[in-house]
Amino acid sequence: MLITQLKAKETIVSLVDGKKAFIINCQGCKEVHFPEKEAAELEKELAANGQVTGVITTDYICNPDNMKLRLQKHMDEIEAADVVLVLSCGIGVQTVAEYLEEKKVCAACDTFPLPGFQGVTPLEYKCDQCGECYLNLTGGICPITACSKSLVNGQCGGSKNGKCEVDGEMECGWERIYRRLAQLGRLDALKCPTQIRNFATDEEVSK
Amino acid sequence: MENYTKYKLKSNDELVSLLAGKDNLFIVACNKCFKEFESVDEPECGELEKLAAEQGKTITGSAKVDFLCNKIQTEKKLKDLLPEGTENVLVAACGLGIQTVADLAGMPVFAASNSLNYRGYHGMALTKKGCDACAQCYLNVTGGICPIVDCSKSLVNGQCGGAKNGKCEVDGNKDCAWEKIYRRLEKQGRLEEFLNQPVQMRDYSKVNFKAVNDYVKSVRETRLDGYYGGVHPSERKEYTEHIALERFPDPEVVVIPLSMHAGAPANPVVQVGDTVKVGQKIGEAAAFISSPIHSSVSGTVIAIENHGHATRGECLSVVIKSDGKNTLDESVKPHKDLDSLTPDEIVEIVREAGIVGMGGAGFPTAVKLKPAKPVDTILLNGCECEPLLTADHRVLLEFADDVIFGLKAILKAVGAEKGVIVIEDNKPDAIALLEEKTAECSNIEVVVAKTKYPQGAEKMLIKRVTGRKVPSGGLPADVGCVVSNISTTKAIADAIKTGMPLVERVVTVTGERLKKPGNYIVKIGTNTKDLIDYCGGTIGDDITIKAGGPMMGFVLSDTNVPIMKGSNGIIAVDTDHTVEQPCIKCGRCADVCPMELSPLYYAKYADEENWQGMKDKNVMDCIECRCCEYICSSKIPLVSKIKTGKGVVRGMK
Repeated sequence: MLITQLKAKETIVSLVDGKKAFIINCQGCKEVHFPEKEAAELEKELAANGQVTGVITTDYICNPDNMKLRLQKHMDEIEAADVVLVLSCGIGVQTVAEYLEEKKVCAACDTFPLPGFQGVTPLEYKCDQCGECYLNLTGGICPITACSKSLVNGQCGGSKNGKCEVDGEMECGWERIYRRLAQLGRLDALKCPTQIRNFATDEEVSK
Repeated sequence: MENYTKYKLKSNDELVSLLAGKDNLFIVACNKCFKEFESVDEPECGELEKLAAEQGKTITGSAKVDFLCNKIQTEKKLKDLLPEGTENVLVAACGLGIQTVADLAGMPVFAASNSLNYRGYHGMALTKKGCDACAQCYLNVTGGICPIVDCSKSLVNGQCGGAKNGKCEVDGNKDCAWEKIYRRLEKQGRLEEFLNQPVQMRDYSKVNFKAVNDYVKSVRETRLDGYYGGVHPSERKEYTEHIALERFPDPEVVVIPLSMHAGAPANPVVQVGDTVKVGQKIGEAAAFISSPIHSSVSGTVIAIENHGHATRGECLSVVIKSDGKNTLDESVKPHKDLDSLTPDEIVEIVREAGIVGMGGAGFPTAVKLKPAKPVDTILLNGCECEPLLTADHRVLLEFADDVIFGLKAILKAVGAEKGVIVIEDNKPDAIALLEEKTAECSNIEVVVAKTKYPQGAEKMLIKRVTGRKVPSGGLPADVGCVVSNISTTKAIADAIKTGMPLVERVVTVTGERLKKPGNYIVKIGTNTKDLIDYCGGTIGDDITIKAGGPMMGFVLSDTNVPIMKGSNGIIAVDTDHTVEQPCIKCGRCADVCPMELSPLYYAKYADEENWQGMKDKNVMDCIECRCCEYICSSKIPLVSKIKTGKGVVRGMK
C-alpha cells in the first residue's frame, strides 16, 4: 500500500526539457491513490506542445512480465521519445528503467511511505511493524502508534483532559489502554516490568 | 516466488511465559497475505496449539482466517466463532490483525507473534526490497536505480569511497550501487548531465502520519460508501456525455434475433416472403419467462435463419429487407391514459411490447412487475456505472418526462408507494433536471450516489439506497424492491403513450479507438459493423471491440452481429496483452468484491477442479461484475473460472 504524489511541475518540466516524452501511467493501486486528475492535466499540457509520442495507462507495471507485454506494442513510440516519464511508485519506475536500460526513464511522482498499512485494507495507521509486539501488555491497543511519543511504559505526563499534548485532537493512547484494561479486568497487566525498546534497524529486527 | 512473511511467532520462552496463568484459549491465525497461494492451511495454529497443549492448557477451539485486518469481513467471521467458556484469545497475525480481533472480541486478546517490517516490498516486489518510499524520489538523477535501497549507506551524492572491485564495503556480496548507476548512465550517454548535478540534500523529517492517516481514512470511506467493495475505473465518459442523441440512418436490412432476453427464445410468427410493418409482432413469447419480438422496419421478410449473436454465438433470427417507408403497423396506437389503466393492463401492455431489462440482462419486465412478494419501493437505476457508456445519461437528459411517466406506470402496476431515481454524482446535469421535474411528485425522490462501480447492480443499488440486503439466492422483491433500468422505463412510457413496442434503443458508440464517438437512437437489428463504420471506423489495429461496457461487456470477435434490446454500448478499446501470473494473495479481490466473497479461492479451486470447494465458498452468489478481475494484480481471468465453476455447481445436486 502506498501513496504517490506528482512531483512539482517545474521538476517535471525540467525533466522533459522541451524534448519528446512517452508517458506511462500506472493505476494498479489506484484504489489506494493515484493523482489521476493531475496526471491528465500534465499529459494534456505536454501533448499541446507536441511533446508526447505516446501514452499508456496501465496497471501493476511492477509485474515485469506483463509490463513488457504491454510496452512491446508501443516500442516505436518509446523509440521516438527522448525520455520515458513514469507516473507510479518507485518500484514501477525501476522495473521500467531496468527493462528500457538504454533509455532515460524518469519518475514523475514521489512515493510516500505507509508503514502500518501493511494489511490489504488500509484503514488507519495502527501498526509500525516494530518487530516486538507490545499488544499483550496493552489490551490490544498499540502504544507505538496510539501514543504520539511511542512510549512503552505509560503516560508521559503531558496529557490534558484525556487529550495528547502533541496533538490536541488525539486521545491519549495510554488513557485508552488503561480504559481497555480496566474494562477487561486486566489492570494487573500494568504491573509488568519496565519495557526496553529495541531501536535496531529494520533489517536487524527482521533477521 | 519467495514466501514473504509479515509476522513470525514469538519465541517459545516468551509464549510460555505469556500463557502462564491463562487458560481456556481460543487460537486465531491469519492466513498470511502476499505470498504464493499454495496451501489453504497455514501451520501457525498447529504450532500454537501444540505449545499450549504441552503447557496443559485447554483449547476451546481454533480458526484460520484470511485477511484478519479486513475488519468488516472479520467481524462477520468472528461472530459466533468463540465457543462458550473461552477466556482468552491468542492471535498469530501482524499487528493489524491482532488489533482488529482485540477491538472485536470483547475479552482479553494476546499477540502470539511479532510483525516484521516490510517497507519497500510494495507492489508485486515480493522478492526484493525495491523502494523505501522516501517521498523524494531520486531515480531521475540515477538512471532508475534507487540509491536509497541499493546503496548500503543510502548515499545520494555518489560513492562513499569504500567500494572494492565494484563490491560494497558493508556487504561484500553486493554490487556498489553507485557503480551500477554510473555504468547505466554511461550507457545512456548521460554522464555529463549526471556529474554536473548539484549536490542532493535529503530531507530526513518524519512523514506526517496524521496526514497520511486522515487521507487513507477518507479514501476508505469513499470506497465503502453505500455498500462493501466496488471499484472506480477511469470513467472516460467525456468522449460522449455531451453529445446529443442522433438518429442512426435507417438500415436497409435488419437481422432481429428471436432471443434478446432471459428465458425461452420467441417463436417466429412470420414466414419468408411476408410483408411486415414497424411494430408488428414477428415472434411470440414461448414461455412465461420469454418475450415477444417486433419488427423495427417495414418491408419484407427475406430469411429466417441462424445468425451471429453478440452473446450467444448464433441464434435464430428474422431477416427483414426494409422498404424505407417505415409504415406503422395498425396495432401501434396510444393506450388509455395512465389514470384509466389498471395495474394488470399496464403489465399486459409491457408484456405485449416485448419490453425486457435493457441494461444487458434482458429479464422480461412484465414478470418483474408481478412480484411474488409485496413491494414498497421502485428503484430506477440511473447510475450507469459502467465506464465509457452514456446512453442512459442521454436518455435522462432528453427524455426526462418519459422516464418519470414510465416510473409512475411501474409504481401503479406494482402498487408500490415510493419511486427513487438513483443517479451517480458524475451526472450533475441529469440530477438537476430530474430533481426539478420531480419536485412536484410527492412519491418520487432523486437520490445522488457517489460514483462507484458496480452501483447499478441491483443488489448494490438496493443496499445503497434502502440499506436492505437481498438474501443469498434471493430477488429484489424479497426485500420489497423492484429495480428498473432507465431505457427500459422510457420504453414503458413509449408503449403506453404511443403503443410502440420495443423496436429501437439508445446505443453509445465510443472508446479510445473509435474515430467519432456518439450516442445514437438505433433500430433493433441494425448491424454493429454499420454502426461502427458510421462512426468513422476504428483507429489502428490490435483493438478490442465489445458489446456493452469495458467491465461487463462481451468481446465481439466478429462485428457482423445485430444491435439488440440490451445493447447499451459498442466500444472500441485497446487490447490488453497480459498473461496470467500466480496468485500472490494480495487480497485485493476480497477487498473489492461487492458480494463480500473471496474470489482468490475460485481461481485456485477452478484450477484444482474442486467444485465442492467453490460451492462452499458461495460461488453462486457471484454477480460477475468483474471487479476482482479488474483489480487482480496477477491478471487472473477470474470471471471465466467462476463461470466454469458455476456451470458445474449448477449441475450438482
